[in-house]
Amino acid sequence: MLYELEEVTKVYKGRTVLDIPALSVQSEQIYSLIGPNGAGKTTLLNLLAFLDTPSSGVIRFCSRQVRYAEKLLLPMRRRVVLVDQYPILFTGSVWKNLDFGLKIRKIEKKKRKELIKEALELVGMQDFFAAEAHKLSGGETKRVALARALIVDPEVLLCDEPTANVDVENLEIILDILERINRDWKISIIFATHSLSQAQRLASHTLILKNGRLTNQAQENVFPVISCEDRGGLWVCTLQNDVRIRFTSEGLDMDSGRMHLYLDPERIVLRKKEMVGDPSFNFLSGRIIMTAAENERVRVRVNVGVPVTVFMTHADYKATLPMIGEDVHLHLDDKAVSIF
Amino acid sequence: MLIDSFRSALLLLFTLNHDMLVVVGCSLRVSSLSTLLAAVIGLPLAFIIAFTSFRGKRLTITCLNTLLALPTVVIGLVVYSFISRRSIFGSFELMYTQTAMIIGQIILIVPVVTTLTIAAINRIDKRYRMTALTLGANRLQMAWVIFKETRYGVIAAVIAAFGRVIAEIGISMMLGGNAKGFTRTMTTAMALEYDKGEFVFAVALGIVLMALAFAINLLFHLFQGRTGSDVI
Repeated sequence: MLYELEEVTKVYKGRTVLDIPALSVQSEQIYSLIGPNGAGKTTLLNLLAFLDTPSSGVIRFCSRQVRYAEKLLLPMRRRVVLVDQYPILFTGSVWKNLDFGLKIRKIEKKKRKELIKEALELVGMQDFFAAEAHKLSGGETKRVALARALIVDPEVLLCDEPTANVDVENLEIILDILERINRDWKISIIFATHSLSQAQRLASHTLILKNGRLTNQAQENVFPVISCEDRGGLWVCTLQNDVRIRFTSEGLDMDSGRMHLYLDPERIVLRKKEMVGDPSFNFLSGRIIMTAAENERVRVRVNVGVPVTVFMTHADYKATLPMIGEDVHLHLDDKAVSIF
Repeated sequence: MLIDSFRSALLLLFTLNHDMLVVVGCSLRVSSLSTLLAAVIGLPLAFIIAFTSFRGKRLTITCLNTLLALPTVVIGLVVYSFISRRSIFGSFELMYTQTAMIIGQIILIVPVVTTLTIAAINRIDKRYRMTALTLGANRLQMAWVIFKETRYGVIAAVIAAFGRVIAEIGISMMLGGNAKGFTRTMTTAMALEYDKGEFVFAVALGIVLMALAFAINLLFHLFQGRTGSDVI
């Protein structure tokens, strides 16, 4: 195993921003890390890059427990590189930036020059060898930052939203590089993204973070959208089997390519059919196909045409007592629905 | 009277008056050495304080900020109590020497260099630090990266410190004694000439002092313009 996390938490100013009971990451794979803003993606990446210390818990890297003494951290840090969402380049030329990691690893000058040229060729920036780093565009900066990370030959590449704020041309180049370095160089990659389509294209595993917690590692409650229709601010999205979800959203970008809809299992309210007063707004009808007790909640799966998971508190469960095979309604509020 | 003094002062300057050159030389030597030594102490101190977490860090920074307002006569008194003939370091016979002036001036400007450098480090984007570390830098190498990125802030801190010592009078007078040819600096000489009613020499030294301050700032801005667009 590349990483093993046990009961890892990170607390900032009294607030738990990350709480991962267990996580295993295999080497030579591509993992995508999906979640809304503030879900804890960057915090987790910083922990995996050994740039931050967990408030509690254990992180193992290649089966060795990470000890946070500076001397012990350095050799580990030299095997893992993190590329920031908004990477910053050092003042000076592009080659000076790439030279940094090699110089501190005491690689001889002639070899360094060769490696810099190769790395710039890999990201298609060979003409920018002597360019002033601070004068590059956002996409070019990301590519140089990627080259600067790869030149040190890391075992693990961590990328925080590698395609955020880049144009389509640079986006394709970056995704292609990630794909290639994993396939050809066997570099393990973990990248955070908002785009489920990017995650599906590149990653062999997807981790979904929400409020600092990993949700089911399978893509639970994530459905491909077949069509979406604007009815004056009210969106009606059709999923497979003609399941329709209604929600309000401003500025929904319909041209962003493949879209996915995510239903937050904690924001769905399950009601028995006879308990429903006015089922006029956003509700789905279906039949319960599974119930399972978890630590602090009960997982109920309802087939509404697609299998939808609902989390109920034990109190709610006892009050409702949903039975397998029973027909129920699922009520969704606007915050329960999000679009990738 | 001021115009006459000014005219005579310019004449002194253009004829490169020997007495004046000795005084200016002493000022520059003492101030440069004290600035250099304060930078050697203050810069690493600033980086250590900025990059380490320890109990009382805020209190330390508050104390350093308070020391910025330390009157030169207080420093003069404190150093005097350590180096006067009957005191603990009296046997070194430092009193009324340039070394005593340098010691006092270092105490005066170490807080200046340290606090201004800490402020410059705190202003810089934290991603520089993270980037250096993730690329495999140890703490010293990371500090060097930050030093390079904050170089204009650091130079500004050192210039501010130099400006403070070249213009101070309390320490030079109390610990140097204003001995002609040895510890007489521009400011102590100006005070003496004023007491004697000899304004010409005082005005000439005043012009040199102002010209020096202007030249240093000009040099800094020229350097900044040529090597980068960073603004402090």
